[in-house]
Amino acid sequence: MIREKLMTKPNLSREWLRSNMNTVGPILFVIVVVAIFQLVNPSFLSYQGIITLIYAMSYFLIAACGLTFVIMTGSFDFSVPSMLKLSALICVLYIEKIGLLVIPLALVVCLVFGFINGLLLAKFKVPSFLATLGISIVLDGIAWYLSKGHLQIMHDEKFRSLTTTFIAGFPSILYWGMGVWIICTFLALATAFGRRTYAVGGNLEGAGLSDINVARHRIYVFMLSGFLSGLAGVLYMSQMGGGSVNIGADMAIPLFASVVAGGTALTGGVGGPHRTLMGVIIITWIQAGMSMLAIGNDIQMLTFGLIAIGMSIATIDRKRIKIVK
Amino acid sequence: MNPVIIVFLALVVIFGSIYPGSFFSPINLKAILRQFVTLTLFALGPTFVVLTGRLDLSYVGIWMLGGVLVWLFKPILGLFSIIMIPIVGIATGLFIGVIQTKAKIPSFILTLSLVVTYTGLAALVAGGYPRAVDGYEFITAPLIPLIPTTFILSIPMIAAAIFLMKCTRICVYLNAIGSNEEGARLAGINVDKYKILAFLLSGVFTGVGAIILFQHLGGSGQVELKLNNIVWPLVAIVLGGTPLTGGSGGPQRTLLGAITFTIFYRGLYLSPLHPTMVTLLVGIVLIVSIIASARGLKGVTVT
Amino acid sequence: MNDKLLEVKEVYKTFDRVVHALNGVSIEARENEIVGVVGENGAGKSTLMKILVGVYSPDKGEMYHKGKKVPFPRNPKEAARRGISIVYQENGVIPWLKVYQFLFLGHEDKYIKLMKLQMDKMKEQACGILEEFHVACNVEAFMHELPLSTQKMVEIARAILGVRLESEDEDTTPIIILDEPTSPLTDDECKELFRDLLKIKKNASFIFISHIIPEVMEYTDRVHVLRDGNLVAQYDFSREKMTEEDLFRAIVGRKSSEYISRLEDRGAPGEEVVLSAKNLTKSGHFYEVSFNLHKGTCMGFFGPAGSGKSQIIRTIAGLMSYDEGTLKAREQEFKPDELPHVRLARGIGYFSGETGKELFLNWSIAKNISIINMEKILGKLIPVIHFSAEKKMAKNIVQKLEIKAPSVGTDCYALSGGNKQKVSVGKWLERNPDILLLDDPTIGIDVGAREDIYEVLLEMKKNGISMILVSDEPKEYFILCDKIMFVMDGRIQKVLGPEEFRKVMST
Repeated sequence: MIREKLMTKPNLSREWLRSNMNTVGPILFVIVVVAIFQLVNPSFLSYQGIITLIYAMSYFLIAACGLTFVIMTGSFDFSVPSMLKLSALICVLYIEKIGLLVIPLALVVCLVFGFINGLLLAKFKVPSFLATLGISIVLDGIAWYLSKGHLQIMHDEKFRSLTTTFIAGFPSILYWGMGVWIICTFLALATAFGRRTYAVGGNLEGAGLSDINVARHRIYVFMLSGFLSGLAGVLYMSQMGGGSVNIGADMAIPLFASVVAGGTALTGGVGGPHRTLMGVIIITWIQAGMSMLAIGNDIQMLTFGLIAIGMSIATIDRKRIKIVK
Repeated sequence: MNPVIIVFLALVVIFGSIYPGSFFSPINLKAILRQFVTLTLFALGPTFVVLTGRLDLSYVGIWMLGGVLVWLFKPILGLFSIIMIPIVGIATGLFIGVIQTKAKIPSFILTLSLVVTYTGLAALVAGGYPRAVDGYEFITAPLIPLIPTTFILSIPMIAAAIFLMKCTRICVYLNAIGSNEEGARLAGINVDKYKILAFLLSGVFTGVGAIILFQHLGGSGQVELKLNNIVWPLVAIVLGGTPLTGGSGGPQRTLLGAITFTIFYRGLYLSPLHPTMVTLLVGIVLIVSIIASARGLKGVTVT
Repeated sequence: MNDKLLEVKEVYKTFDRVVHALNGVSIEARENEIVGVVGENGAGKSTLMKILVGVYSPDKGEMYHKGKKVPFPRNPKEAARRGISIVYQENGVIPWLKVYQFLFLGHEDKYIKLMKLQMDKMKEQACGILEEFHVACNVEAFMHELPLSTQKMVEIARAILGVRLESEDEDTTPIIILDEPTSPLTDDECKELFRDLLKIKKNASFIFISHIIPEVMEYTDRVHVLRDGNLVAQYDFSREKMTEEDLFRAIVGRKSSEYISRLEDRGAPGEEVVLSAKNLTKSGHFYEVSFNLHKGTCMGFFGPAGSGKSQIIRTIAGLMSYDEGTLKAREQEFKPDELPHVRLARGIGYFSGETGKELFLNWSIAKNISIINMEKILGKLIPVIHFSAEKKMAKNIVQKLEIKAPSVGTDCYALSGGNKQKVSVGKWLERNPDILLLDDPTIGIDVGAREDIYEVLLEMKKNGISMILVSDEPKEYFILCDKIMFVMDGRIQKVLGPEEFRKVMST
């Protein structure tokens, strides 16, 4: 049946549109939303407005890329916001003692916790959302303990210049974000690691029968997510210049929503960081737009919750799962 | 003998001997009972869902949104506006049950997204900050010395849950679904119906329980989502011995888990440990108890 | 001859307008007997049984109960009222229910008084029925705590109990369908199960579904043979003398004319032993399997389903572990519980005809071929995928195997069954492992594609790849194998050459 369809000449424009809805949809959506916001507040797309957007979007994109890899394998990583927070706090708390070495320190800590997440799943068979939920609580506890709950200010100029140096009219964090995104996309689409990630998420049994060490790969994926969360935290602290244990509160749902909205399905095996860019743009720009329209945090939360549910329903590959828990 | 009972007794003995004065003091005992009430009323409902191997995190959302709606409807309905809470509970239970069963969305993400949505709605309705409501002080007014009235009021709920467990086939069916869903279907059980029922029961129990909780926790509609409120009832369920994969356990285990966790927490509270360290320990306890209860999983694909 | 109890005539059932599961099948069950329904996988046994218990409804057909025409049951409860109940092959047991809870599962409405479940009464009756069926167990135990054969007996007791509780007619003889009851059991457990069954034969009639020939021969009174949705034979053991091979041939059913001569000249088998096994044993599945696989040859494990042949090949692949014995590849021993990717790294590839497992259906042909050939398309300095190399590799395979697809970028779900299989074979052709395990390689594909695949496999063999074959198609063994091990009851009974094999199969 499908083969006949391939042989006959399709009505190109409509057919193409329908089968590519997944990619075209989000782009159209963004254009519409941006148009609306711009109409309401002409300064939305002004230079200042765009800079604000860049600041909101860049570190978020990095964290979302990490989460994307995990979701591609069919798992969840609930600990991304907490890793981001801990990483940021490590930077600000110890910069005076060890200078810029805080950066590798923060990254290593997050790598280790990512490893633990992967281990809990692969070796101990703890469902990923629960393992990462538990780890996020542990991370929060450590964050509290280290910072004693106080607001911390980053004074180190060198550290701050990592993200706030203006190059070609844009803050350097834009280039960080784009750079990481490009590397992640590349990783997903053009390396063996990326292929294996799609394989594990797409057909777990088949992946096991190919020469993929499934358990080890899953651990790697969680470590990658940890690393990127840590990186996002470092850049966050550099950009914001301060923070407390409230960093990353309310980040979990928008993060998840942006991955799913971009087209990476919960069932795994499809999507990727290149799709997440779209999702991040949608979510952060809607967020920025709503803040600009003085829409309260509450409605924002509501919106993202609905988007998360809606996009999950839309993208889940129901043919593949028989029993869903 | 249920190993958790041993843990519970051990904790009582340990904390009782380290801090004999403060642990057994009337203040502490009252605090223990109060916390037990909170945990139980939040955790009883979701237990039914966990039996089927699914997760229902909506309890916090029901309490928050319900509370705010009470404030909203008070001028119109007077004291009757408390009915908004169970209404939200039932509606939520039905909604989640149908969506989870028919649209096959993983229950974790569905109910979590729902909680976030409810938080937003609650904040929207309340205008952004908590709203105190007068008139329900009788719920917490002291009746018997030393025993919180809300504890007494929870007893019917607990009894109802135990009745369902021991005297009806509902829990047998829910356990069957959690233990082997395909087998339950082959045995002729209308699996979809009972899955929806599990969520509905969760909504009902949470909704009714939250009537008590409303005043118990301060008598105001809350608008801020606190992670502990979500996690602690889960710990009570898992610690009590109902595995998150479902299939065994039930409300009576949750009660045991609630009291054990409460003792654990109150005991640590008396120690010089910083409260946030305690929270960290709670996180570790959650993970460890999940690992321990997952021991029986063989050949199950876990994501 | 016993009285007819249940009869169905001319039952037709088609799924999705394409899958013809049953084409006019008629069977009958009589009082006080165990009647067998046998056939290969896909013959239609399961579908027929599900119709009998009301899980499916037939497109056409008639049902008679004790000679009277009755409508087909619309659900399991109705079937139970008629006296028909089923014990499923797997997933029938709920591990975390107590025995008495499980026994009455689905029928609790008979034990509710004033909203309360009469658990004491249930426990008492549970003890009673277990005693009646000579099942020794504690009604308060959890189902998963019982040994497997006891679990089966409890399932059977539950089926009979279900009929008694639901049926309107006090006198109804229960008709219990046993769907492959012995597959999870060991030999001893089987013997126990049947011993208990025979004791209760006078209380019920049994329809015994199986594809394990020795059991069918020993325990059934009569047997129906299904093949490809048709009833092809009926035998009454009290009247006819049959051997196991007779029955086997009725099930598999090939005529001698289907054995074409070999496509290629058989080269002399290589000297080198690439894989050797000594006394491989997995309790409950196979025992003391020993062989030597020579380079460039193909060895087949042949036997009826349930003989253990599939388990043997899956164990070599790493999908199952073995309990005793040694498995060596060129003098290097394997560990009993390695995962498939470890075995693959050591040169053993596993190819299953089930393309759902083998292929990533939403991936393109090119990606499916490259996934196990990554080193060939990665750059030397930076491990990046060279898409042009990948495309070239895929095009090469597509050409060699004549895979019909618009391009190498086509997603595999769009291909026909035969072409999907070719993609699977193609990726192994590219990989060129030392040893390739073929597990039902041509299941469900058309003759033309089959011939193409045989050609490729023979070519691979000529190039030095050694193979092991397990299949349900005797013809394949003749075409591909140099040595055929006949497996029955988990043991290697005979070793045959291809010509001997052909003689045996076509008489």
